[in-house]
Amino acid sequence: MRHFTISLGAASVALLLALTGCAGATGGSEAAPSAAAWTIPDSDPTATIQVIGILDPVKEGMNAVLAAFEKDHPTIKVEYEYVAFNDLNSVLDSRMANKDGNPDVFWADQPRTAALATRGFAADITSQFGPFKDKWDPAPYASSSYQGKLYGVPIANSTQLLFYNKDLLDKAGVAYPSADPASRTTWEQLTTDAKSVVAKGAANGLLFGQFDRYYQLEPLSGSLGGSAGATGDDNLTPDITSDAWVKAMTWYGSIFADGVSPRGVTAEQTDSLFLAGKAAYEVQGPWLLPNLAKSDIKWGVAAQPMFAGGKAETPTGSWSLALSPYSDAKEAAAIFMRWMSIDGGGGYTLNRPDPELPATPEAKKVYFARDLFASEEGKKAASIIDFESSNTAVPRLSTVGYVEFEDVLGRAYSDIRNGTEAKTALETATTELKTAWAQYGK
Amino acid sequence: MRSRARFHTGNRIGGTSWVATVSAVLLSLLFIIPAFWMMINSLRPTVDIFESLWPLSPRVIIPTSLGVENYLTLFGGPFGRAFLVSMAVCLLTVMIGLVLSVAAAYALAVLRFPGRNAIFAAVVISFMVPFEAIAIPLSQLFNDWGLTNTFMGLVLPGVCNGLAIFNLRQHFLSVPTSYREAATVDGASELRVLWSVFVPVSGPAISNSALLIFLGQWSSYLWPLIAVSSPSLQVAPLALAKAFTEHSADYGATFAGAMALAIVPATLMLILQRFFGRLAIGSGEK
Amino acid sequence: MQSRRMPDERLAVGLGASRAGANRARRRPSRQRRREALWAAIFLAPALAAILALRLAPAAEALVTSLYRGFPGGLRPQVFVGLGNYQTLFLSQAYWETIARTIVFNLVINPLQIAMALLLAVVMTRKIPARSIWRVLVFIPATIPIVGSSIAWGIALQPQGPVNAILSALGGSVQPFFTSPQQSMASIILVASWVGIGYWMIFLISGIDAIPEELFEAAKLDKAGPIRTFFHVTIPLLKRPLLFVLVADTVANFVLFVPIQVLTGGGPESSTTMQMFNAYRTTFGHSSKNMGAAEVVILSLIMLAFVAIQFRLLREDSPRGSK
Repeated sequence: MRHFTISLGAASVALLLALTGCAGATGGSEAAPSAAAWTIPDSDPTATIQVIGILDPVKEGMNAVLAAFEKDHPTIKVEYEYVAFNDLNSVLDSRMANKDGNPDVFWADQPRTAALATRGFAADITSQFGPFKDKWDPAPYASSSYQGKLYGVPIANSTQLLFYNKDLLDKAGVAYPSADPASRTTWEQLTTDAKSVVAKGAANGLLFGQFDRYYQLEPLSGSLGGSAGATGDDNLTPDITSDAWVKAMTWYGSIFADGVSPRGVTAEQTDSLFLAGKAAYEVQGPWLLPNLAKSDIKWGVAAQPMFAGGKAETPTGSWSLALSPYSDAKEAAAIFMRWMSIDGGGGYTLNRPDPELPATPEAKKVYFARDLFASEEGKKAASIIDFESSNTAVPRLSTVGYVEFEDVLGRAYSDIRNGTEAKTALETATTELKTAWAQYGK
Repeated sequence: MRSRARFHTGNRIGGTSWVATVSAVLLSLLFIIPAFWMMINSLRPTVDIFESLWPLSPRVIIPTSLGVENYLTLFGGPFGRAFLVSMAVCLLTVMIGLVLSVAAAYALAVLRFPGRNAIFAAVVISFMVPFEAIAIPLSQLFNDWGLTNTFMGLVLPGVCNGLAIFNLRQHFLSVPTSYREAATVDGASELRVLWSVFVPVSGPAISNSALLIFLGQWSSYLWPLIAVSSPSLQVAPLALAKAFTEHSADYGATFAGAMALAIVPATLMLILQRFFGRLAIGSGEK
Repeated sequence: MQSRRMPDERLAVGLGASRAGANRARRRPSRQRRREALWAAIFLAPALAAILALRLAPAAEALVTSLYRGFPGGLRPQVFVGLGNYQTLFLSQAYWETIARTIVFNLVINPLQIAMALLLAVVMTRKIPARSIWRVLVFIPATIPIVGSSIAWGIALQPQGPVNAILSALGGSVQPFFTSPQQSMASIILVASWVGIGYWMIFLISGIDAIPEELFEAAKLDKAGPIRTFFHVTIPLLKRPLLFVLVADTVANFVLFVPIQVLTGGGPESSTTMQMFNAYRTTFGHSSKNMGAAEVVILSLIMLAFVAIQFRLLREDSPRGSK
């Protein structure tokens, strides 16, 4: 037996040493393809492009979008690969490592633009798409750029609204919050109201559509004057322990401690709870509107609150399409990207059955003309969306270290939610960020 | 060869044990109640799941309306096809994997040759390496070998199951050496000894190893995710994961898919128990 | 004859090696030995080829990767840093805590799961009506995709979930489960055990079924009670399947990360951050495959130590199965 234990050790060492010799150093030796000059052609080439996206072909209507594209550009065939949102990063990592032009085009999370660019996943498309700058709203364009170069074409934008359950509010005798952004309610007032509703038996007072996610919570600290989360030339110096951050996050922790908001509920569950009539308020994006229209809930909509004495800030940003530097069909890929993002205001939002907020003013007009916005509350929603996306939207932090930032901060939010003191959690996160960001230091 | 006809009907000393029966029922309830709740949830809309959570009411296990919509939606979409792909992948994996494992385990347990322990150690190490750690290097190897986006590319990583070899080896070590001696005296080759002497007395061990290989492959997620991009080769767990989108999730569909995926190995286990459960060492020797 | 299988001291190093048997060994003609070696080569070749190509070669590549440092994403050239990544890890207080947490987790969950699986296996091999039904019911959690069952447990154990609803209906207080650093680890153990116990049970059932009936009868003649029978008959004769289950369970729990990813994300306050989850996050979340590889190498070495100890603890003192 002792022999076997020794064998186990010896064999592992021997095997690995032997194999190490064979394996050798790998990866990274090839230089990234140079960004040779090329232009978007006037006539369509015949080509097949591979696209990785996070939208269901049927349930989220991507098939309709692709059919419309192929009708407009019959010689370009799109092979669309649907990847679950949570898996996009893993899939991209492994595909890009093959350097074989699969995918040609992929869905790029706008705040990750800097990371995708420096990692060599996204090609510099400034010379091809820079001239279209004026077609987009300024925020999505900025979010797709890094150090003055363009790395993606925005296909959508987003904002947040405050939805409420009229029945629950009526039952507690609480007034509806104002739909007018100029007289938006405050988080303090909302907390008080939510407490009253919970006291009358509602399961939950306030839901954030995406608890513990930076996108959703950044405007809290922002409303009190906090920075986006980092400072310095490259935004690589954590700045999440300022008074604004600590104060905002202390409030965030208090809503759970006081039973206004639930612990243990994930971002994917919040809509179901609200639609089940289990919450008085939910802060969520326009994508809740189609679900509300289908439900029996009597709902209303208001502008996202701000802190008393603070300023109004709302989240923004969505997805862009990025081009792989290894693409073997750049021209066709560019035609697809232009069609999705720009042509007619963006084929993507124009052709999706339940569209997202477009990134171009041209498509916004079509968007707001949809049936979804025809009802009384729908009209209110439309004017709030229009106002917020052009007045109070603050983009997420632009940094090459965004991936780690989002993860570390997400855990800090989660800890605060579960009862850790805000200051402690943010200090721990700062230490973790400094370690994680050391690799980007010069 | 001595003949010891024993049938493992569990008739361990005396008649029905009521203490054991009561414990068995209570313990099984402990395990099955959460699964039962999942099944109920698979039969109702997502909103209904969340409506019934709190406070405690009979609705938590008695849905307001029972329906198979979640299943219909699921199998109407790409999940149906993916389910069949998964079945085919697993079937082939188990067949190849069992042949490899039985042969290797026999050599490691029964035959004498230099370096046997080193090889067994390599087998042990092979199942200790976390697959997540080698998935990306392996996918690059598969890319070089032209196996990306192929059916065999899905099958191959699953056939190599060190645990199955280990499990079978442990069992083969318990087979009395007299069995093999008797057969080799008659001039049987090792292949024949393995097939006619060892395999017939190893029903439970082989079926357990089949289950090991099957479940390993049936639940594999990361590998199909990075090794296959073609929708026609998509496997069931991946199709199921797509019930989760960026902002929301279809919990009804998730539970329905989990139930659908559970039924296959559960049935497999019942069948294996029925047909191979009795092929134990004692009963094989006649 | 045990000696037929273990004829030579040099070879008698395997698990089933009996020193007594080995000492009685007699040399056999070299032709016979060559023949066996040839068959061994034929039988092992396919499995070994698969293990080398599909496990050990990429593992070696991961080992090499751990000696380099590169920009996240892995497309830019990487530089050789020797043990630099390991040094970084070992200088981190948080990483030491992760290692300690992983070891504690395994010291608790493995004995717990094995004891429960053994208890169930003993019960399920007694004479009881509809036995295969009860066995399948216990096994079913192992068949449900672990992502699915993790999601279900996440809902079931929410502060306002059905488990707490039952607790408070019974007059108990609402428990935080995954949302408190004090209970999160225990809750993960609960979920992992609900999945794992039935799975390991079936291997032990096969093991108990393979124990010769006479031995139980003899124990009965000796008027041994069920507990004495268990410790003096069942356990000693169950060593081989027990070793398998112990090693396999240990490996499974060292590399467990799906429930953690779905349920706690390593929190609250890192209370459930274990090595595999950490390595997965580094490799796939942050795309730092060099550092992730170093983390996996450390994890593998710790696992190797555990497994070696288990092989040593459950070595066979006396051969059985032959007369």
